[in-house]
Amino acid sequence: MTETYGKVAFYPGCALDGLGKPYEVSIQLVANDLGLKYERLDDYNCCGALEVKNVNTMAGFLLPARNLSLANRVKANTVMSACPGCHYSLSRTHYFMSKYVKVKDRVNFYLKEMGELPYENNLFMIHVVEFIRNAFGPEKLKAIVKRRFDGLKVAPYYGCLYVRPKQYLQTGYMKIKDDPERPVFMDELLQSIGAEPVQFEAKVMCCGGPHVYSDAETSMHLEARIIKEAVRNGAELLITDCPLGHVAIETNMTKIEKKYGVRISLVYFTQLLALALGHSPEEVMLDANITRPMDVLKKYLR
Amino acid sequence: MEVDGTWNAFIIDRTQTGFDTSVWDKIASTVEGNTISLCWQCGTCTSGCTAREYDPNFSPRRFIDLARKGDKQSLQELESSLWRCFSCQKCTHRCPKGVLVEEVVHAIHNYALEEGLVRKDPGTKFDELFLKAVMDNGGRISELLLGSMAAKYGMVSLSLKDLINVSSALLKTGLIKTVMNPEKVRNWEKIRKVLENAMKEEIKL
Repeated sequence: MTETYGKVAFYPGCALDGLGKPYEVSIQLVANDLGLKYERLDDYNCCGALEVKNVNTMAGFLLPARNLSLANRVKANTVMSACPGCHYSLSRTHYFMSKYVKVKDRVNFYLKEMGELPYENNLFMIHVVEFIRNAFGPEKLKAIVKRRFDGLKVAPYYGCLYVRPKQYLQTGYMKIKDDPERPVFMDELLQSIGAEPVQFEAKVMCCGGPHVYSDAETSMHLEARIIKEAVRNGAELLITDCPLGHVAIETNMTKIEKKYGVRISLVYFTQLLALALGHSPEEVMLDANITRPMDVLKKYLR
Repeated sequence: MEVDGTWNAFIIDRTQTGFDTSVWDKIASTVEGNTISLCWQCGTCTSGCTAREYDPNFSPRRFIDLARKGDKQSLQELESSLWRCFSCQKCTHRCPKGVLVEEVVHAIHNYALEEGLVRKDPGTKFDELFLKAVMDNGGRISELLLGSMAAKYGMVSLSLKDLINVSSALLKTGLIKTVMNPEKVRNWEKIRKVLENAMKEEIKL
């Protein structure tokens, strides 16, 4: 199904050049092993996440739009993000630019002033989970796994912006997009390396992301709720595809454990896939995970 | 209500009128608030709302109702609730009428801020900080940069132990360098000027 996507430009976003580095490194390892090709966008800027749009309308469109314009420059057909926050931001701008001619005109006017190409609403936005699942697929992955994680109980946490809202992300509208209320694409990939996704109703529950600083108490309660749901169903690891949720939960873990009495270790889903494809913990930068997934994983890594 | 004689003096109006009808116009003319008119007040947005679980006064359905009526007084009384949206997008996603609820809620909140109905809240302060961080650091940010800026403004979320855990992971992997000093966009000064110019433009539909 690689044909579906054409040329894929990869928008890393600030998170993957920061605390989310292990995520990017492992995406690369997996993509190489599976023969999936993408071009990393050079000289990208911050997408504005969920914050900029609230304080300035134009900046909220222009920051993502410049990145879409960069993707046009390399003649991409599809823009892939690994961070659902970026995926959302880019898709939101695409949505508003296609719906309101006035927005498109003004945004393109300023893009021109920046010396960038205009954005002609011509790109398709995808998330890396969708990319690996659709362009390679769980069945083929199952056949080439070198190290199986049989019986490892995992809770796949997708995060809000991987599926919502459907208006921007087109989830539920086509087969190559995930189910918006109960996504399964990551589950399928994890199953193909032997891991066992537990029943987990917090898959797309809010982690309090945008308010981790401004409303810390509530955000922490939201995070604890996700961990509780995972632990309650017997999960040994929380598997993430969202660097924002991942970092927010990991950095608060000690506080959460103290206040709510639960804890769990976190791994990016591509880290686990890369391990299954035979890479070492050092290669996937398991040391950069602030919680200690190694405690759970070591029995599989011998 | 019309009643004869002295009764008129102490019967209170039973219908709500006399509100500021320009509120609806103003919100509907913004890009974010444009879909406010589509709402038919079913409450689907509010029944699944994350913020509402923690604040019973947080109700996107009611915010939309008040804004469309123009009940500024009631919006003002909701000062401590209006800003609490987490942007989890359940409301927008589920709305059967196609209202972009999350966007509309922010448009209503922004209206209240602009009109001076509510004071600036921690959420907006952080959003402004975020934008400043992007602008001042060459178009990119890092968690550490943002964290230290937020700490300067009195918003701290990490415990000391967590901070040590984070730092040791960063040191062990050598990630510390990139996080302390994120790469900058090459042409940023030019782009920044255009952005600052663009930010002065109020886009009205």
